Amino acid sequence: MVKRNLKHDHVEASRPVLTLEGTVRGVRRLAPLSLFVLPFGVAYGVAAVEAGLTPLQAVAMSALAFSGAAQFGVLDFWPGPIAFGSLIFVALAVSARLVVMGAALSPWVNRLSPPRRLAALFLLSDANFADTEPALRSGERDVGILLGGGLIFWVTWVMGTAVGAAGGAIIGDPAMFGIDVVMVCFFGAVVVGMVAGEPNWRATIPPVLAAIVVSVALVSVLPLGWNVIAGALVGGVVGAFRAG
Amino acid sequence: MRSVPDETATWLAIGLVAAVTLACRLAGPVVMSRIGPSPRIERFLQSLSISVIAALVASIVAQGGPREGAAVGVAALVMLATKSTVLALLAGMATAASWTILLSG
Repeated sequence: MVKRNLKHDHVEASRPVLTLEGTVRGVRRLAPLSLFVLPFGVAYGVAAVEAGLTPLQAVAMSALAFSGAAQFGVLDFWPGPIAFGSLIFVALAVSARLVVMGAALSPWVNRLSPPRRLAALFLLSDANFADTEPALRSGERDVGILLGGGLIFWVTWVMGTAVGAAGGAIIGDPAMFGIDVVMVCFFGAVVVGMVAGEPNWRATIPPVLAAIVVSVALVSVLPLGWNVIAGALVGGVVGAFRAG
Repeated sequence: MRSVPDETATWLAIGLVAAVTLACRLAGPVVMSRIGPSPRIERFLQSLSISVIAALVASIVAQGGPREGAAVGVAALVMLATKSTVLALLAGMATAASWTILLSG
């Protein structure tokens, strides 16, 4: 009886939540990193207006789509006539990894109530996924950090776009200060942190190597974005079928 | 030459890109809720989460070049040595910035 209660308590204690407090914590966690997104937002605003969107449309695109990869990817379709079928395919190709990230978060997200599930996923992107997934795995219960991290990135992305679309010139070359590599270095550091943080770290090496080899081998074969999905899925399968 | 249909087409395109990205954000957990949990599925998801970020990094470096590769490599080593994401980012940025300055100046 006592044993059963203890088990019950454990399940209750580890049940994921989504709170305002967690959301605020998520904002704080990613606020410093989100500043580096500003120049990219500005660059997008400038590029979108050059391509033929109005400033309002450029800002609306950033606010509604909130995906740098998808937004830059589809700019080629302007000025029209817009090939809507191809536009959907390009947007899908670069966004499909969000499906994979959502699936990886499902053990936590799917135990929330449907409205909270929606809130948690609404601003899912590379950066808040990379920040939240390892945190949840090491005991964090509050999926609000995902929403908060997404919120602060959304704010800087939309603000940057507005500045760029309003005619703000790009100040200097981001490459000069190494700003252009911040996100990829962040993702690289997250991978190292995930491998090093795993007690059985050797088991994480085969999936990571498989993912790297497949995504690089297919980078010029598959349309952009699908090589990342292919690498991720192969890595996942390698991990699923490892011994033990 | 901006006409009214052009504006409408652009708004439609914005709506489509937004709809596609939102659908992708929501799809993962919906799909997984239809698949019962098992130890194998759990290992799959755990490997998937690290693999998708690793694949993303590899793909960006492959499209970039040695400068991006050097920056990520230094960031990874600093992360391994210090366990500090901030230091790793600073080291990666410094590497990329020095590369640009030394090779273009």
